[in-house]
Amino acid sequence: MKELDPLLHSQLRLGIISLLISVKEAEFTHLKGETNATAGNLSIQLQKLKEAGYIEIEKTFKDNYPQTTCKITKVGIKAFENYVKDLQQYIKPKK
Amino acid sequence: MEEQNINPEQSMQIIQSMINRAQSNVSDNGFYFIFWGWLVFLCSVIFYITLKMEMQYGWLVWSLMPLGGIFTGIYSYYEHRKYNPDAQKKVKTYAEVYLGYLWIAFGISLCTILFMMGKLGESTYPLVINLYAIGTFVSGGILRFKPLIIGGAFSFAIAIVSFFTPFENQVLLVALSLLVSYIIPGHLLRNKFKNQ
Repeated sequence: MKELDPLLHSQLRLGIISLLISVKEAEFTHLKGETNATAGNLSIQLQKLKEAGYIEIEKTFKDNYPQTTCKITKVGIKAFENYVKDLQQYIKPKK
Repeated sequence: MEEQNINPEQSMQIIQSMINRAQSNVSDNGFYFIFWGWLVFLCSVIFYITLKMEMQYGWLVWSLMPLGGIFTGIYSYYEHRKYNPDAQKKVKTYAEVYLGYLWIAFGISLCTILFMMGKLGESTYPLVINLYAIGTFVSGGILRFKPLIIGGAFSFAIAIVSFFTPFENQVLLVALSLLVSYIIPGHLLRNKFKNQ
C-alpha cells in the first residue's frame, strides 16, 4: 500500500488543507478559529505547507492590522487529491 | 502541534468536518436583493401611475437608479473595509467569487438593454424582466437558497407574459417580478441570515 503523504497526514495540516480546498482564500484568524489551533502552532504548520508549495501566504496590512491570507496552490490541490485517493486504500482495502 | 498519529478514519473525519464548515459559511444577508428590490419596485409603481395620469416627466423617477448604484457602491466599500475581529468576513468563498461575476454580467447586460431601448422598443421591459430572473435564479443556485430559485422561475414566466402585454402595463409586471424574485426571497434570506 502507498504511504500517505506525511505532510498531510497530520491533524492540523490536513485540517488547514481541507479548509483551503473549499474556499478561495482564508485569513489566518479564520483558520485559527476553525481549527482551534494556537497561533504559534498554526504559523509553524502553515510555513511547512508553504515550503512544500502546497499553499501561498500573502502578508498585507488592512487598516493598520497585519493580515495573513492563505490560499491553496495547484500543487496543494494535487497533493490533497492524491492523499484522499491513497486514504481510500486504507479504508476499503482492495482484495 | 506535536506530530499526532492519526488513523485513516480520523483523516476522513477531519476532511469532512472542515469541508462542511466551509460550506456552512456560504451566507448572504440579502441586503442587495432587498435594497434593489424595493427601490426598483417603487420606481416602477410610481412610473406606472405617472403613465396612467399622463404626466410628462414620469420617467425622471428612473434617475434614482444611478443614485442607488452610488449608495450600494458606498455600502459595499464600508462592508469590506470594516475591520471587525469577530466578524466572519475573514474568508472568501467561491460562492462570493461566482456571485461577483454574475452581477457584473448582469450590470453589463442591463446597461446594454437600456442603451438599446430605442431599437428594442416594447421588448425592453420583457428583456429586463428576463434578466432579473437570471440574476436571482443563478444566485439561488450558488447560495443554495430555494426561494430565490423559485422567485427567478416566476420571473422567467412573467417575462414571457410581458412580451404580450401593452407597454404601459409592462411596468406593473416589472414591479411584480421584483416582488416575487427580489423582495420576498430577499427578506427570507435576511431572516435566515439573522437566525444563523
